[in-house]
Formats: sequence, structure tokens, C-alpha cells
Amino acid sequence: MSDRCDEALANLYLYLDSELDRVSSDRIRAHLADCPPCEHVFSFEHRFKLVVRERLREDVPPEFIAKIRAVLSSEYEIDG
Amino acid sequence: MADQADFERDALQYAPQLYTAALRMTRNPADAEDLVQETFLKAYRAYHTFQAGTNLKAWLYRILTNTFINKYRRDARRPSEVDLGELEDMYLYRRIGSEHSAASARSAEDAVLEGLVEADVKKAVESLPEIFRLPVLLADLEGFSYKEIAEILDIPIGTVMSRLHRGRKALQKALCEFAERRGLLPDEVADE
Repeated sequence: MSDRCDEALANLYLYLDSELDRVSSDRIRAHLADCPPCEHVFSFEHRFKLVVRERLREDVPPEFIAKIRAVLSSEYEIDG
Repeated sequence: MADQADFERDALQYAPQLYTAALRMTRNPADAEDLVQETFLKAYRAYHTFQAGTNLKAWLYRILTNTFINKYRRDARRPSEVDLGELEDMYLYRRIGSEHSAASARSAEDAVLEGLVEADVKKAVESLPEIFRLPVLLADLEGFSYKEIAEILDIPIGTVMSRLHRGRKALQKALCEFAERRGLLPDEVADE
């Protein structure tokens, strides 16, 4: 574990969330290209994030949008 | 009065996403539908205050989360009472044993990531206390930036970061338990 590894790991989520400035982000990217253990962690956390998003997908009930439109329509009538 | 056609054209496209988030907030479909309907009603009524050209999606999520907090949960703004305990960074990664055996790690990781089914992830997210669940949903489900999340939840950006960080660790811990029950994890690595 080098200082570069510490720096990369400390910024793991900022990096994955695209919250770092370009310079910091480029520096981490360069480190990952040179450091398989760090690259491994980053790639796992990245995949984990994608899996979470993917598994949380929902099918919206049919008619749901129509119901919202109906609720809004009655509101428009109140508005006149 | 807001322009009805503009409002429907611009705002309704977000209904499915709002519903997905609402379902994880309320934990049941009927309340999620109510919450989203109420969100659209409030949004329509307040539409004249929305500044055209600013972030409509974030504005709708702000209404959604405020409505949720006011209607369903009263503890969401009292974070000090919620304690997740000490949680390790990279909880799942460490538990899979990836740091010890890089060679076999890939297949073990695949087994866990592929083996965690929808129901596991949904339950794990729902198990998080709201103050952590909301930032996790906004970041990981919706892809909002920290700055947007800070505006939606009306909390400082540093608070967003710490809650998101702790929420994600807690999520990994919860998912670890599901993975364990499904027999997806290698035998405990002796490092404790």
C-alpha cells in the first residue's frame, strides 16, 4: 500500500460518483492503471453500484400515469 | 395558473422514476402511488414558482421527499438518534475475501453480485433508516450529484457525503447478510 493507494481509496466514492475535479480524477485513473489491487476494489464497487441500481428498477403499474392525469384534470377544473 | 400542457409535457415524464423512489421510501405500492400523486398535485400548484430552465427533476424530487418526510416520517430530520454502529469500509468486498485472494476473487464476486436478487436489494435498501436511505436512493438510484441531493434534502453537502457514505456501508452489510443466507459467500476468512 503506497500513499497513492491511500489517496485513491480515500476518494473511492467521490471518484465513482464523478464528484472529483478533473485533475484528481485523472490522477486516480492513472493510479488504477498501474495498481491492480486498487483497480480491483474500484471495479468491484463500481459493479456493486450498477447492480443496486439495476435491481431497484420497478415496473410502474399500468394506468398509473393515467391516474395522475385524472387527478391533475380535476385540479384544472378547480382552477377554472 | 400554471400552464397545464407545459406542466404535463415537462413533468409527467418523471412519474415512473418518482414512483420507483417512492416505493422504496414508503415500502408499499398503494402509499407510493398516493405519494407520487400528491407530489404532482403540489408541483402543479407550485409550478408558477418553478424557474424555467432550472432543474425540474430535482425540483420534483424535493417535493417528493418533503411530502414523504412530512406525511410518513417524523424522525427523518433528527439524525442524532439513529446509530448504525461502527461499519467497515468496503464491507462486502472484504467479506467476499477479495483482498486476500485476488485469483479466486472474481468468481466469488460474480456469484454474489449475480446471486443477490431484486427482492434482496429492495429489502436491504428498505431496511436503512430514512436519513441514510434517502441520500442512497437519490445518488445510487437516480444519479443525482451531491450538490443536487443537498438541495433536494435541504442539508449541507458535507452531511450528504457522510450520510451517503454510512448508508452505503450499511447497505453492503445488509446485503452481506442476504448473501450469507443464500450461501453466496465463501467461508468466513479468519481475519477478525
